[in-house]
Amino acid sequence: MQQGSFCYVAGTPVIEAQGLTKFYTLGKETVRALDRVDFTATQGDFAVINGPSGSGKTTLLNMFALIDRPSEGEVLFEEKPTSRLTEGELALLRREKIGLVFQTFNLIPVLSVAENVEYPLLLTKTPRAERRERVAARLDEVGLSGFERRRPDELSGGQRQRVAVARALVTEPRAVLADEPTANLDSGTGKQIMELLQGLNRDHCVTFLVVTHDPSVVGYAQRVLTIRDGRIQGEEKRGAPGPA
Amino acid sequence: MARLALRNLSRNRRRTVLSAGIVALGCALSLVVLGFVERSRSLIQETTVQQFGNLQIADPEFLDGKAEGFAYLVSPAVRAQVEGLVRLERGVVGTTAQLALSGLLAVRRTTAVVRAVGVVPENNILDYNDLVIDGRGLKPGDVGAVLVGQTLANELGLQPGDFVNLTATTVAGAFNVSPLEVVGLFQFSSAEVERAQVFVPLSFAQLLLATEGVDRIVVRLDRLGRTSAAARAIGARLRAAGLALEVRTWDVLSPFYRGLSGFFDLLFGFLVAAVFTLVFFIVLQILTLSFLERTREVGTIRALGTRQGEVFRLFVEESLWLGLVGGGVGALIGIGISLLFNAAKIPWQPPGTVQTVTLGVDFTATAILIPFLVSVFSTLASALLPAYQATRVSVVDALRAV
Repeated sequence: MQQGSFCYVAGTPVIEAQGLTKFYTLGKETVRALDRVDFTATQGDFAVINGPSGSGKTTLLNMFALIDRPSEGEVLFEEKPTSRLTEGELALLRREKIGLVFQTFNLIPVLSVAENVEYPLLLTKTPRAERRERVAARLDEVGLSGFERRRPDELSGGQRQRVAVARALVTEPRAVLADEPTANLDSGTGKQIMELLQGLNRDHCVTFLVVTHDPSVVGYAQRVLTIRDGRIQGEEKRGAPGPA
Repeated sequence: MARLALRNLSRNRRRTVLSAGIVALGCALSLVVLGFVERSRSLIQETTVQQFGNLQIADPEFLDGKAEGFAYLVSPAVRAQVEGLVRLERGVVGTTAQLALSGLLAVRRTTAVVRAVGVVPENNILDYNDLVIDGRGLKPGDVGAVLVGQTLANELGLQPGDFVNLTATTVAGAFNVSPLEVVGLFQFSSAEVERAQVFVPLSFAQLLLATEGVDRIVVRLDRLGRTSAAARAIGARLRAAGLALEVRTWDVLSPFYRGLSGFFDLLFGFLVAAVFTLVFFIVLQILTLSFLERTREVGTIRALGTRQGEVFRLFVEESLWLGLVGGGVGALIGIGISLLFNAAKIPWQPPGTVQTVTLGVDFTATAILIPFLVSVFSTLASALLPAYQATRVSVVDALRAV
């Protein structure tokens, strides 16, 4: 297990939650999914949000990813409030500054590996030559050079998640948010993915927020937040982390 | 986005082929029907112009059927002046004149009220002799000769070579009668015309009415497309010359053509609307299903930062490609069917005419372009609702979709 390889930079705040609350209405019942959550992720953080199913961790990640809006409270991205931004403005912020890694990889099946990684760069209207260069670099970084023309259904689960990681990093975002990135992988592949994320965090100084209920993932974190019933129960800061 | 749109179409080939096939079928069917209607319309235009000429110049009250007495007659001097003015216009093939009269046609002890149309036999501007089915047509130099409709001939027991008397009132109000030889029998699409109308030489009609005038001057042009412009130009020249005569075009003179043309438009419009409504709903259903299957993918691309408008454009682009391919293939199929149809050389007698013509399908740019564009637009229209729905779904809900 690789030990303690984080990006130690005196970080400025990248994502902040201030009194974040989220209600859901299920029939006649109102469910409080998040309850006054306060949290700050700074540049270069590698934080894991840990908790059981239904604890609100994915809801929290969705707020940080700016794909869901809080019922109360505020999400600040690079110290700027986001609650008043339009859907279009939030989309622009996501494409330029946030990378996402999903539990089920969520690659576009009709596009090749290279095209999947290239997709966010098309949104940012990056010039063709630069796109090619960046796609090649990211695929090399995740160990998938030579797989450019493959379709997602021709890859293993671990390879697909590597493509998703390359896609998340290709725009050089300020934060990468990963929702249960190892849940659909066997333990060996999950370990490889976490080591990859850790290495990228170290190399790129990008903030990583990983949501998981997998105890083995917790060991990779610099900061571990435990969430239960929509509230942050506690935070553990680790100087020399390792897997649980 | 265009690449993604095209790839999405290749994702489920069977469904894409089905959608494009339906669009192609609608386009091909419309192309053939429109081409057929256009060919039929142009055939009827040609036969109508053969009967009426491109233009007729006469007293406005005569043209409106309101003239009383013989004040409407055009004198030889005015006729010459008008013909001179008409010849100044480009594309004029020639002119002729007519004089119609009402009279009693008598044979043995039977009489019939007829409208005798005096025509210039030596002038081929209007070809009445094409209508002749027995005997011969009117020839230059004929005076006491008449062409009788088949129906009237049957009723009066007339055959070519028989003699009849035609009685009419002269312009001065006196009775006049003259014998005529039935030189031929003619057939017309309407039994009413065959019963009530006869053709005589213009010189005979003038003799019977004791006048040198004519009631109308008929103008034939080299191209149908010149008609309106020529009517305007000749009308202006007549007014400038101080002549109180009016110019009417063939389509105005033939209420039958106007009615039929309107009916064709209605028929084609209804058919195209029915076909493309069907295409619209079938493609709508297919696209809705296709888009629903990709809800999670929509969630993914929106989470990656694709704006709602860009997702909408992606889906519309897909349907645009579908419409372009379907419409293009449909146009080719339609042209193929039309070529086969034209090669079959099916004979047809257009309503209101006596000549048998060959049915066919016209390949005008309009006949190809209209069905193609309607195909593309109906496919685009069918994508609007599912595309809009795809943009409205929340990203979180879309990502949860199975």
